[in-house]
Amino acid sequence: MEPIQLFELASRQAEWLSIRQEVVATNIANANTPKYQGKDVSPFEAVMQSTGTTMGMAKTHAAHFGSSTLSDNIEVRNSKVNNEIGVQESGNTIALAEEMTKTGEIKRQYELNANLVKTFHRMMLMTVKR
Amino acid sequence: MIDKINQLSSLSLTRDLDGISSVSTDLTGATREKTPGEQTSMSFASVLGNMSVDAMNNLKKAEVASFEGIQGKANTREVVDAVLSAEQSLQTAIALRDKIVSAYLEVSKMQI
Amino acid sequence: MDPLSAASKIAGSGLEVQSTRLRIVSENIANARSTGDTPGADPYRRKTVTFGTELDRASGVERVTVKKLGEDRGKYIEEYDPGSPAADANGIVKMPNVNILIEMADMREANRSYDANLQMIKQTRELVSATIDLLKASQ
Repeated sequence: MEPIQLFELASRQAEWLSIRQEVVATNIANANTPKYQGKDVSPFEAVMQSTGTTMGMAKTHAAHFGSSTLSDNIEVRNSKVNNEIGVQESGNTIALAEEMTKTGEIKRQYELNANLVKTFHRMMLMTVKR
Repeated sequence: MIDKINQLSSLSLTRDLDGISSVSTDLTGATREKTPGEQTSMSFASVLGNMSVDAMNNLKKAEVASFEGIQGKANTREVVDAVLSAEQSLQTAIALRDKIVSAYLEVSKMQI
Repeated sequence: MDPLSAASKIAGSGLEVQSTRLRIVSENIANARSTGDTPGADPYRRKTVTFGTELDRASGVERVTVKKLGEDRGKYIEEYDPGSPAADANGIVKMPNVNILIEMADMREANRSYDANLQMIKQTRELVSATIDLLKASQ
């Protein structure tokens, strides 16, 4: 894959990651809200599949998630109920530990993404310097 | 950026300018579809023209994105991405310009 | 709205509701032994807090808010204390329906949620920082 497409891919992943961060933040903030169902985003591979290899964004899904703007191919849906916590008496399904794990994952992926972009950008500039 | 450089280097390797069209399709790769603005047969002038137009467009996009970023309207990452690609295409255009200018000067120094 | 800024706002609203919850818990604990003044009068009634989501019109973000500050309608605990001013004819005093153990557990959970929200804010800030760093020193 050419480096130019790397930047595109990295941008898509960054967008996906920031949307996921918002979803996890909502889950954590609503950890004690009655009847609140935990949410998660569709996996990145699925998003890339539906986007297609041309990297053009086609409209396929309306935003289901509040009224925050979403990239049209990323779907937010209720996540599977955690086996440890299950559905609590209040109807809430959030497990804080799981959400914190997701946070760690997001951070790792985002930092990798950012550092890759930084390094590749530097390399591209190096190729045209004297 | 890299595909444009490849096209230019292939120009020097193959003397036959018509051969560029087949070479450029190989270089851009089977997975990449042709965008509407891309020509299938390139001459030196058109490659240069494309590159400078690209650089200008990227600069403009980066400027617009930066304005929006400063006003607080734009997504941070989008601003950063626009500025990065503007920097890349600008560097390429500058390097190219420098080479062309020095080549021209060399040619003008040639004794006829 | 930019997802990362939205995440900060949402976590911020989470902090607010958890601190309200902590306030209510400390009120309950402080008043766990507050009886009425006159014989047969009702004591302190345990307070409860219910959360809900609310759409913030300005930013289009779904925040958590305190939907209701209610009272626990459970029965008062009865104690035998003839010397108290609130003792009725039989010397029974009605004590608040506050269970200290429950309140302590609630407090711990509120703390944990508060920390989690704070973590979110910190991390979101770091992500934004990492993004802006891309522009730094690329030469």
